[in-house]
Amino acid sequence: MTAGPPLLLAALCLVSGAAFGRRNPRLWLALTLGAMAAAFAAALLVGVGAADWEWRSSLAPGGEPVHVRLDGLSALFLALLCVVGGAAAVFSRGYWADAGHPGSAPANRMWMSLLLAAMGFVLLASNGLHFLIGWELFTVSAYFLITLEREHRAVRAAGWLYLAASHAGTLCLFAFFAALSVRTGSWDLGPLRERADLAPLFWLALFGFGVKGGMFPLHAWLPSAHANAPSHVSALMSGVAINMGLYGILRFSGWLPVPAGAGWAVIGIGAAGALLGIALAFVQTDLKRLLAYCSVENVGVILIGLGGALLGVTHGDEPWAELALAGALLHVWNHGLSKALLFFGAGSVLHATGKREMTQMGGLWRAMPWTAGLFAFGALAISGLPPLNGFVGEWLVYLGLLNAAASRGSAVWAVIPAVIVLGMAGALALATFVKAGATVFLGAPRTRAAQDARECGPLMAAPMLALAGACAAIGLAPVLFWRPLERAAGSWHPQWVDSGAPAPLAALGAAHVAMAVAGFAAAAFLWRKVRVNGVRRAPTWDCGYATPTARMQYSGGSFSGIAMGWFAGILAPERTRHRPHGPFPVRASWLERVPDTVLERVMAPAGGAVMRVSSATRRLQHGRLQFYIVYLLCGLTVVALLTWIGAGQ
Amino acid sequence: MNSTLNLLIGMAMGLNLLALGGSRVPQVIRAVAVQGIVLGVLPLLLEHDFGWLVALVAVITVMVKGFLIPGLLNRAMRAAKIEREIDPFIGFVPSLLLGAGGTIAAVAGARMLPLLPEHAGTLLVPGALASIFTGFILLIGRAKAISQVCGYLILENGIYLFGLLLIRSTPLLVESGILLDLTVGVFVIGIIVDRIQRAFDSLDTRKLTVLRE
Repeated sequence: MTAGPPLLLAALCLVSGAAFGRRNPRLWLALTLGAMAAAFAAALLVGVGAADWEWRSSLAPGGEPVHVRLDGLSALFLALLCVVGGAAAVFSRGYWADAGHPGSAPANRMWMSLLLAAMGFVLLASNGLHFLIGWELFTVSAYFLITLEREHRAVRAAGWLYLAASHAGTLCLFAFFAALSVRTGSWDLGPLRERADLAPLFWLALFGFGVKGGMFPLHAWLPSAHANAPSHVSALMSGVAINMGLYGILRFSGWLPVPAGAGWAVIGIGAAGALLGIALAFVQTDLKRLLAYCSVENVGVILIGLGGALLGVTHGDEPWAELALAGALLHVWNHGLSKALLFFGAGSVLHATGKREMTQMGGLWRAMPWTAGLFAFGALAISGLPPLNGFVGEWLVYLGLLNAAASRGSAVWAVIPAVIVLGMAGALALATFVKAGATVFLGAPRTRAAQDARECGPLMAAPMLALAGACAAIGLAPVLFWRPLERAAGSWHPQWVDSGAPAPLAALGAAHVAMAVAGFAAAAFLWRKVRVNGVRRAPTWDCGYATPTARMQYSGGSFSGIAMGWFAGILAPERTRHRPHGPFPVRASWLERVPDTVLERVMAPAGGAVMRVSSATRRLQHGRLQFYIVYLLCGLTVVALLTWIGAGQ
Repeated sequence: MNSTLNLLIGMAMGLNLLALGGSRVPQVIRAVAVQGIVLGVLPLLLEHDFGWLVALVAVITVMVKGFLIPGLLNRAMRAAKIEREIDPFIGFVPSLLLGAGGTIAAVAGARMLPLLPEHAGTLLVPGALASIFTGFILLIGRAKAISQVCGYLILENGIYLFGLLLIRSTPLLVESGILLDLTVGVFVIGIIVDRIQRAFDSLDTRKLTVLRE
């Protein structure tokens, strides 16, 4: 059996879901889940099997023959798309139900089907023109999903920023594919590793795909778009859509030759993104913005792995390069799964309280034990703690980079700083999620809304459970997942086919199982003890005060205060403070806001300057005929002078 | 023959200044008409073998530029009831001074241009440059549409003078085509002037700025 029929089935399901799903939510869910299952089967066939799937047709929409292919690399991304896409579809049935959102729920269903279809098509397309068409469809349908609640001003602004940034990237991609087709003489895509003259095109691809991939410092659109979108869309965007950008970078760094400096640049960008992304995440007070900045960090980690692989390949085919690449690829999966899980958790909290500000939550674990538990699970996974999946991916990257350091090549100068940054980012990620979890779920409720929160329904809990299960599976049995990684690495670099799982991976799996068993045993023991002895309940944060209130708790800002001090030079927090004065102070306040450095310090002033120049230019068009004739006269005089000077030479 | 030619072109340059200094619209139209007649005669002087075609074109030029177009303009002026150019962008004395400066600059500048020997002694090039410059001053400096049409006509006369330099290589047919264009253009402008007058109760082009979008 080939991958063709299930893919065709998936496409048919998605298109009919877009067409008929507006009226009938159950039919839509069935069609979407069917499509995801079929596409997952196709991805599995290619990702675990031995042969790639390729199909050419004489049909030529837009003047180019249809050419689709599914190889190891695209199968890896397609499978992740199916898992997260299916989970998001189920979650949106509970989270964005017709009862609560009668206006936008039908639109949500249609655009979600189109988004999934477009992303799937981008992964399959093997023709530059069709790739661009799919890419544009993907961008636009994601825009409509982000702006489902477009009656809010912030949502419109976020959507607009997303659209503008995406099109800046797409412009680069147009240049990239056009230059590629001019130099190769056709729009057809495929491995062209021996054409050394194509190497400079890598920079265009890195920029164009990097914007969509949330690569630092092109991530400026990402926090507001992810924070303002409905949570299932945030999960899709963060778990899958970002990966489309990474897929583009991986795809074309594998198919085309790369310039000599590519590895250094990618590893440097990745390290900067990992450190600053997590530093920015740590100081956020909006739960979804925090998660969005955490995505910037994870993209940085993936790019560190990719940069290590590029360095290894350009410095003479080092064996550790494959480990770094496999780590990056696995981290794509880990980040997609656990970030979708965390966004679902944030969505569940938002659904229950109506708030995104962490300072207005607190004590939610009592009301929402499932959400709290699953959020904590996702946080453990994404912080890279054993025995979960995040650790396996980061461990592979570490293994690759440390082998590189041991090999004493010139790559050491990039690799050792990257390892240090990776370690720092991991520690900060853990601190970030301790802060988020503690502020949101622990302590006492800070507002009425947090007090009245209710647990989410089964339609929202089930996808979270499924994703958590996938995270645990990768963590406990990483050897099972080596084959697709090997296939993907093989289609990135053809010499790496069938290299076999690295020996320590099995040992790591065994250690993880042992840790999990020990953890369960400890939990069961504690549970028993609690059941036997009972629990004495007391107000949280009592601290010996006569009348403690919820406002006396540590806030998120108290957690992140120290790190804010470390990074104050880059984060440049804006503080408004009114200190208490006198023995009976009346008012005192402390407001802290951390702007997005890139957006507000670099892009906004640059955009403002462009706007000022443009409106100054527009003043030239005032409608006075006489002055238009003056322009004409000046232009003629300049042309005459130029001609005269030209004739004189 | 060159002296007659220079005399006529000198007259045209004088008429330029008259058009610049005149505040009354009929006076400007008359200056343009006389300039058209003077320039219309020039091909007869430049062409050595007197063909009937040259004569025909000269006659037509004189008729159109000297009588038909001024007649059309006079009609438009009467229809719009405009006698005087009030409050121009560039005042009459400044425009006169500008025009005089431009004429002097044209005469001086033409010496620096690499001209054919048979044109070097004539005022053809300076006259053409001065007329074009005058036309621009009128187009830029006047607010009423009719005065601007006059500026446009003087500008065209300057281009026509340049065209005479090439009289041996350009067939007169081309010249007559340009003439036809010009007539139609003025005709259309005459109609537009009438419409503007009816729509806005004024011929002040400054009031048309709202139409820029």
